[in-house]
Amino acid sequence: MPRYELALILKAMQRPETAAAVRRSVETLMERGAVVRDLESLGERLLPYKMTKHNQRHSRGTYFLVDFYCSPNILDHLLNHLHRDVDVVRSTVMKKEEQEPKSSCCGPSQ
Amino acid sequence: MFQVLGGRSVQAARLLAPRSAVLVEAVRGRKSRTDPVAKSKEGRIKVPSAVDPVEMVVLKERYSEYELIMRALRMEFKEEVLRKKYEEEMGAQAELRARQEEEEHRSLMDWNNQENLRLLKARVLRIQQEEEEAERKKMEAAIQREQEQQEFIRQKEEEILKLQEEAKNFVTLENLDQRIDEALDNPKNYNFAIDKEGKVVKRTVLQ
Repeated sequence: MPRYELALILKAMQRPETAAAVRRSVETLMERGAVVRDLESLGERLLPYKMTKHNQRHSRGTYFLVDFYCSPNILDHLLNHLHRDVDVVRSTVMKKEEQEPKSSCCGPSQ
Repeated sequence: MFQVLGGRSVQAARLLAPRSAVLVEAVRGRKSRTDPVAKSKEGRIKVPSAVDPVEMVVLKERYSEYELIMRALRMEFKEEVLRKKYEEEMGAQAELRARQEEEEHRSLMDWNNQENLRLLKARVLRIQQEEEEAERKKMEAAIQREQEQQEFIRQKEEEILKLQEEAKNFVTLENLDQRIDEALDNPKNYNFAIDKEGKVVKRTVLQ
């Protein structure tokens, strides 16, 4: 199965609400038959520019990274669903290439 | 009236045996056939030149003798030629030569057959060897393919095992809450700075 990565930007909210939004999104994924491999957070940060979504202006957001395996047929539905979600500022799905054994180069910090 | 011959017809006229030193032929001249004879030539009767009898007799004798001799010589030569030809075809030597040629021909044919046999054997051998070579190559190719297939299967199995191992860390409905909390507690930072010497700095300002 091809492997995708969902870069999710959520509204800057309190922790339980953020958790609920993430849970909602991941559950949407899993309902449609995706296998979630890993879930990472890049923390709450200042957005690089102010984004307007669902009639709201956002300057801070929480970044999440979900990599998962799924069939290409469901991506359309998924993106549709995420676009409708009010808490989601931006959602982007990208394909993940098969990684060759990397040389000793820079990697993630933690 | 008379014109000197020149050109291709000269040789033909010479063959037809003219007696004069210069070859002349009768030519029409000014008048055509239908023109009347001239007045000065009216009663002209052409009279042949007179013949000397003694001279005639002598000449006739000499000529007959000469011609006899010439004819005899010619006949002799013709007969010689014919005899030679006959001997060539039917003479004693002819049979011998024919037999020799036949023997030579037979020996050459035999030699040719021998050669053919030899080459045939060589060819058969060569073809056999080539066939064996081809067989061997095919076997080798088959073995190679088998090996590659095995290799491929092995690789895929390895990948499957790896994936199975990693599957233990996947997110499921039960882990979901736990994983979300984990993720929220450990925010990751993929930013870094690098300078021209290659020194990497991972600590950045998180806004």
